Amino acid sequence: MPGTRVRRIFEDFGDRLQLALISPESSLDRVITTVDVHRPGLAMAGYTDYFLDERVQILGETEISYLRTLQGDEYAAALDRVCQFPLVCVIITKSLTPPEGLLERLERHGTAVFRTPMDTTPFIHELTECLRRAAALTTTVHGTMVDVYGVGLLLAGPSGIGKSECALDLVERGHRLVADDSVTITKKEEDILIATGNELLRHHMELRGIGIIDICTMFGIRAVRAMKRLEVVVNLEEWSEDQLHVDRIGIDDHTREILGVEINTAVIPIYPGKNLSVLSEVIALNYLQKAYGYHPAREFNDRLKKWMKKQAELRNMHHHDRE
Amino acid sequence: MPTDELVVQNPLGIHLRPAGHIVRTCSAYKADVYFLRDGQEINAKSILGVIALAAEQGATIGVRAEGEDAEQVIAALKDLFARHFEE
Repeated sequence: MPGTRVRRIFEDFGDRLQLALISPESSLDRVITTVDVHRPGLAMAGYTDYFLDERVQILGETEISYLRTLQGDEYAAALDRVCQFPLVCVIITKSLTPPEGLLERLERHGTAVFRTPMDTTPFIHELTECLRRAAALTTTVHGTMVDVYGVGLLLAGPSGIGKSECALDLVERGHRLVADDSVTITKKEEDILIATGNELLRHHMELRGIGIIDICTMFGIRAVRAMKRLEVVVNLEEWSEDQLHVDRIGIDDHTREILGVEINTAVIPIYPGKNLSVLSEVIALNYLQKAYGYHPAREFNDRLKKWMKKQAELRNMHHHDRE
Repeated sequence: MPTDELVVQNPLGIHLRPAGHIVRTCSAYKADVYFLRDGQEINAKSILGVIALAAEQGATIGVRAEGEDAEQVIAALKDLFARHFEE
């Protein structure tokens, strides 16, 4: 199962769970792979044959007060029994003071350690709910999924804006349809989303005024594919006066979160006569260029800055030239 | 946000023609309408969405509408289902 970075839990649910990080920042990169939690009390007391170290460990009143009854070597041994495992995340509830020596022992494994003022039982309920939400592995979105030059584009936007027509035009140009209308997105790894269509509808499309058509039989097998990694979301928007969010320079990359994965997005304002398929091709090619290390807008900006610097130097030279 | 349940009553289930009636009925209203079945939620103004439910005779579909005429669109849908999609 792909996991969830501790950082994401902290950022998305930190307020709700009232978490305070007490381990180094770098520990936030550890990955949680299960939605279940574990209380390490038994292990402290001596039974370590069966220890669920991949789970989030909860230290509540039980664990902490047990440790308080121990001294010297006994205390150290109890702590070591738990800290011998490469723990991912430890959370101390009820604002209890971390047991002496705990943080030092966990630092070796890069374990993320938090404190929360919440009571243990309600906290476990809340945490499980948050972990479950973060670990959601599939979702369905309204849109049209196409493969353009090998780049997975999701055309999104309101009904009737022209997503299907755009996909049709792209198919005519030799690109491939993955799904129309409803696209199922599945998280495969930490940062990989795979898009596919409904099995029953497979490569059928509905066009207003025409009805249901079958892209695979109409255009052939080269016009379709079963699934594709989602790489860019193309948001089609009706043109309006308020266009402040539409990028005009392309220096910054915009992203949108889907199932906890940041996906590149482009917002395209639509008005009659707009050639959406060419724009989609350019979005795909631009994405490829960036993926291969060439960022057109930034490269141009560097050139522009160099050019201006040179001009300024020249002018300066002429200015001081009293010959 | 009104919600209700619709039961498919016609023998053939929601095939293309009933799907067309459903979409046309919903599109006459401003409200957004969603159908829910087996954890799958679809836009009831989309033909492909409605077909994707593959709702056979006897199937129960949850319906949820959002907007000023939400109550009316649900009433119209209940009526349409009761009339067996005019089949």
